[in-house]
Amino acid sequence: MTESLLTIRDFCVDYVTDEGRVRAIDDVSLDVKRGEILGIAGESGSGKTTLVQALLRILPPPAVISRGEIMFEGKDILALEEEELRAMRWGRISMVFQSAMDSLNPVVTIGEQIEDTFRAHNAKGGRDRAAELLDMVGIPGDRVDSYAHQLSGGMRQRVGIALALALEPSLVILDEPTTALDVIVEREILQEVRQLQRKLGFSVLFITHDLARMLQVSDRVAIFYAARLAEIGPTNELRSNARHPYTRGLLKAFPPIGSGTEARDAHSIPGSPPSLRNPPTGCRFHPRCDQARPECAAREPHQTTLSEGHKADCILTD
Amino acid sequence: MVYIFQRLAFYALAAWVALTLNFFLPRLMPGDPATALVARLQGRLAPGALEALRETFGLTDAPLISQYFMYLSHVLRGDFGISVAYFPAPVSEVIGTGLIWTIFLAGTAVLISFAIGTLLGVMAAWWRGSWLDTILPPSLVFLGAFPYFWLAMLALYALGFTLGWFPLGHAYGDDLTPGFNWLFLSDVVRHGALPIGTVVLATLGGWLLSMRNTMVSILGSDYVNLARAKGLPPSRVVLRYAARNALLPSVTGFGMALGFVLGGSLLTEIVFSYPGQGYLLVQAVRNQDYPLMQGIFLVITLAVLGANWLVDIVYLWLDPRTRESGG
Amino acid sequence: MSGGAEKTTGIGIWVEAIRRDRKATIGAVILALFVLLAVVGPFVAEDPDELVGVPLQPPSMQHWLGTTGQGQDVLAQLLVGSRTSLLIGFSVGISVVLIGALIGVTAGYFGGRIDALLTLLFNVFLVIPGLPLAIIIAAYLPAGPFTIMFVLIVTGWAWNARVLRAQTLAQRKRDFVFASVVAGESSFRIVTREILPTMTSLLVSQVIGGTVYAIGAQVGLEYLGLGDVSAFTWGTNLYWAQNDSALLTGAWWTFVPTGICVALVGFGLTMLNSGFDEITNPRLGLERSWRAYLLSKGRKPQRSTPVVLEGTRD
Repeated sequence: MTESLLTIRDFCVDYVTDEGRVRAIDDVSLDVKRGEILGIAGESGSGKTTLVQALLRILPPPAVISRGEIMFEGKDILALEEEELRAMRWGRISMVFQSAMDSLNPVVTIGEQIEDTFRAHNAKGGRDRAAELLDMVGIPGDRVDSYAHQLSGGMRQRVGIALALALEPSLVILDEPTTALDVIVEREILQEVRQLQRKLGFSVLFITHDLARMLQVSDRVAIFYAARLAEIGPTNELRSNARHPYTRGLLKAFPPIGSGTEARDAHSIPGSPPSLRNPPTGCRFHPRCDQARPECAAREPHQTTLSEGHKADCILTD
Repeated sequence: MVYIFQRLAFYALAAWVALTLNFFLPRLMPGDPATALVARLQGRLAPGALEALRETFGLTDAPLISQYFMYLSHVLRGDFGISVAYFPAPVSEVIGTGLIWTIFLAGTAVLISFAIGTLLGVMAAWWRGSWLDTILPPSLVFLGAFPYFWLAMLALYALGFTLGWFPLGHAYGDDLTPGFNWLFLSDVVRHGALPIGTVVLATLGGWLLSMRNTMVSILGSDYVNLARAKGLPPSRVVLRYAARNALLPSVTGFGMALGFVLGGSLLTEIVFSYPGQGYLLVQAVRNQDYPLMQGIFLVITLAVLGANWLVDIVYLWLDPRTRESGG
Repeated sequence: MSGGAEKTTGIGIWVEAIRRDRKATIGAVILALFVLLAVVGPFVAEDPDELVGVPLQPPSMQHWLGTTGQGQDVLAQLLVGSRTSLLIGFSVGISVVLIGALIGVTAGYFGGRIDALLTLLFNVFLVIPGLPLAIIIAAYLPAGPFTIMFVLIVTGWAWNARVLRAQTLAQRKRDFVFASVVAGESSFRIVTREILPTMTSLLVSQVIGGTVYAIGAQVGLEYLGLGDVSAFTWGTNLYWAQNDSALLTGAWWTFVPTGICVALVGFGLTMLNSGFDEITNPRLGLERSWRAYLLSKGRKPQRSTPVVLEGTRD
């Protein structure tokens, strides 16, 4: 078995509000292995972005990490001091943000924004290296002096990727990197990432709500529902043998690409995700589950290991 | 570049609106004060001067439209008519003597206040919860709630009259002749300190709060979060990513506040008998010197419009997105 | 958990916002005191016109705030003046928001040429300096409170129109408004039932801001002698103080109390507004409870996401 790059155990994140604390990540454990692509899927608000921003400890107020442990390359991220965190950010873990438009500084050239990372980490590299990075993700190097607004959506997202690779980190987080893009650009970018990943050997945490896209790219997939991990397993296993009703619902809503059924969202799961302020008792999915039994509301499911690396959080699998 | 000319066209339009308001106001108002004024001065004026005064008001027998064009052509030649209070000096001459002082006072005050207030705003947003963020803003808001001229009165009373640290009025000592020498310039600074200081004090809170609030929302933006994720040093995140962007709305606000601050600064001039437009304005109000009043209004409006255009040029330099719009 | 967090609605939200924010509480108390003063004061005050003693007497037991350059009671003038000054302030504050809303919402809602024209109009009014314009208009009109109100409204509405136009544009794009447009509801109904209600907190904060502006500008105009100098308002009090050379005779009591009153009212209103900011900008409030939570755990708020581990699951 490949060694773990990142280990998350019993992890909880709370949002502190006037009306008390809201648990935005509830008792999540998972690993990212060296050189793999782990996909995280779930509806918006299920905690995907919260998890990865908490990983970098850049989750803004009112968030507080309230439980658990995160080990990354042998270091406990939750115990790091401000300066150590600064060195870890980008140097070891980098991230491509959801919205490329909003995540680039509008008044500074993209080249400068790449160079900023070199400077902050005392890394070698200047304008030439920035141009090289742009070139690597398929943007002409002479665009270093461009501003974000002068680039198309796809190009901006490529800049985001170039930026993420600037310091050759061991883990790259892609937070819904292609939501705002059209299908063709999306496919190009994902292929690009896959190629770069094979070439450079970093691990990837790939977040999306589009399960079909994820099944194409990822080695393993984790499914989040209402702040909890519902199911996790190798891609093939999940594709053919998903056990959690929510995962199966998602698979129906996003039929695998090329399967002939192009009617996306045709089978979207009825209902909407619960409020985290007041989550349902027992299994959080039971109000929307088509196989719910009375005991689903009464007791919380505990994680069952179904096969090597395949776990689900459902009473039916107990 | 197109942007700069668009703005110029807009200010030209605003100037035209101001001119037109100036022309129609006396004609729209009840009781026709212009005629009353001319009547009041009858006998005290030489026949030629009376004609000239009538003409500034456009009180000829010509139809309104040709009066209007005559008025425009006069104003464009810099002819605002004849002052009543300073009879028989032309308005343009009366205004000319004090314009530089008004611009000096208001300009210096607004620049100092903007620079310090904005800097404090950045610091307050960065050190959330520190005294800079909790105690300073309300204190400055409290100071800002006083009328500018009242603060001026208090400062003059306490620091000038009682303690004698500062001169009691005017822009420079009576015994000095204006010139570019140390003696004169230092005297100007000494005389300017209180009026400028009070205007700065009164306006600081506004800049601080607006910058702080913009900073707070920008510190929550994606690009600031990405900058933090990049592991940039905090100072760089704050200055290059947050403050640099938060400055943009503040600069826009700066243009808009110019006219407002200028109003307060005019009143401050009165307290210090500072020889600028504010002082002339009181004389004009007390003597019902309408030509002078209107002349001051026009000149000040033009000055504010010009300053706004300069602010637009600065904005263009600060925001690359504006540089291409329309170009 | 979040027990007993029933949803407060209507006026309750405002009361709650004021109660929760210390600054807003202070502001509300100051404001309430002055409103009381303006209502009751003129009844209990002596005749402000009466010559009660030697001119320019410093404060004493008999005349708590001394006498003016004419020998009138300063306190009496202050009390009587408060009513007119506050009344003008609030009326102008409300009027500029009403006019601003009419023009701004019309521009934002209808768009196109109407918008272009109205936007140009308020932008022009924004760059023409207000005080000089107010002066030349007021100089032609009979002196008095209505003239002051009129000129302050003419020179004060543009800012509100600009802000409300932007807000309307944002609301116009929202789904539920779009749905009503498609459903063929009348524009008037959409504006009054669906767009304006979403802007309540903004409108309230604009009225407060408008009142602050009106009181300050009013005092300034009257100080210049553009008010009715025989009436009693805070501004004319200052006008007379200046005229009677209060400064050069050392009679600080003729202008200091009035200025403090003007400032307290302005300060109270501004503080009140900062409490309402939280209704419009919830981010400000969230961060406060977060900060308080960290401090209660003996932690200092830090830049990176804080770690406050708890022993057991709750």
